[in-house]
Amino acid sequence: MNTITIKGNKDGLTVFVNSGTYEEIKRELSSRIDRARDFFSGSKLTIVDNQSRLTNENYADLQMTLRKEYNIDLLYGNHEIKVEKNEKIFTGIYEGRTKFIKNTVRSGQKICFNGNVVIIGDVNSGAEVIATGNIIVMGVLRGVAHAGSNGNKRAIVCSYMLQPSQLRIADIISRSPDDYKGKPKTPEIAKIKDNLIVIEPYLPNKYF
Amino acid sequence: MGISIVITSGKGGVGKTTTTANIGTALAMQNKKVVVVDADTGLRNLDLHLGLENRIVYNLVDVVEGTCRLKQALIKDKRFDNLFLLPTAQTKDKTAVTPEQMLELIENLKKDFDFIIIDCPAGIEHGFENAVAGADKAIVVTTPEVSAVRDADRIIGKLEAKGLEDHQLIINRIKYDMTKKGEMLNIDDMTDILAIKLLGIVPDDEKIVISTNRGEPAVTYDSSKAGQAYRNIAKRILGEEVPFINLDDEEQGFFASLKKIFFKK
Repeated sequence: MNTITIKGNKDGLTVFVNSGTYEEIKRELSSRIDRARDFFSGSKLTIVDNQSRLTNENYADLQMTLRKEYNIDLLYGNHEIKVEKNEKIFTGIYEGRTKFIKNTVRSGQKICFNGNVVIIGDVNSGAEVIATGNIIVMGVLRGVAHAGSNGNKRAIVCSYMLQPSQLRIADIISRSPDDYKGKPKTPEIAKIKDNLIVIEPYLPNKYF
Repeated sequence: MGISIVITSGKGGVGKTTTTANIGTALAMQNKKVVVVDADTGLRNLDLHLGLENRIVYNLVDVVEGTCRLKQALIKDKRFDNLFLLPTAQTKDKTAVTPEQMLELIENLKKDFDFIIIDCPAGIEHGFENAVAGADKAIVVTTPEVSAVRDADRIIGKLEAKGLEDHQLIINRIKYDMTKKGEMLNIDDMTDILAIKLLGIVPDDEKIVISTNRGEPAVTYDSSKAGQAYRNIAKRILGEEVPFINLDDEEQGFFASLKKIFFKK
């Protein structure tokens, strides 16, 4: 097996480090580039080193050499370290992507969706529903619900019977009070007001 | 440096989680710094026994995967300031953690706590291997049933094969009148078969069901017989000599109490 593998993909060229010491890797890389100097010149190379064979100094040294000698930009592309692209906060809480789930979400099940989630059924204790938009449960919500999980503070959680073990909206967490054992009599809606999660009956006029 | 104790049984439903919650709480009542660790990934229950289910944000799997720091996953008990729970994930399965990771985690916990009580899942597979990995001592729980005793025997064999020689037995759910009539295995038979040191006997108690449903360990109830038994077990773990509970509540009166005084040991 070669010490390095060079592959092309939609983001450009990627160098995968497979084995060998830094000296061997550097020598191999230089000889590969020398063989097709015109092809590589001016391109961007992403280096993927999942086994951490290169230290930060090695990497800086390599980056400098390549830039000076071949006019190549070297990028660090380790899968683990690569910072995820800061995804835009999902704001479609009035309309947008929505997932419908037409059964009971049971303990141990986890629903994750980038958008709104509507559950036609119950969410049992021990289950988790995480959505970047709103969460609507057409049944009893007993598990954990996390609406607006990527930071949307306008997201809501709504259920016919809102009895969650824990509610999270954006980065705010709340839990049911320890001494409260009553059951809600009306459908309720949870949202953020002044950085606190508040629960109120929806359609307030109808119930008061 | 603390001591880690795994509570195991092999068979399911004999009271491992109840025992873990109660011993943990009883030790905390004795002013020890205690953490109870739920190793039953995917079927967690210890949080319910302690009434802490709505406080879980991070869990054991998050800690080993590096999603959060260990301190962030620890949940402080509502009643005792020196009791902590390390819950596990409900949405993952046992293979999410390896024995090596578990060992490292327990070693880290030992630096901060006097006692680490690990609740082992039923069975002898991956979950058991994880739970036992970091343990210094083991407590085997069994009930007076042939099936539970056979599984306990298997578990003791497994523990010894792993080099965990320091193990003790708790017999749970003893019904005194049944053992007296010979309808149930008696304590001597069981210690005879299993040939390990008896740490405690816990009588069958309806209050356990109530306490589990409310999320309050039975040791916090003064009137509970099982709670009393667990408090004694905690004292024995701390090295105190406590006589075994007298299960014979029928034998009362003047002569009985005289007999008790003269034939105490």
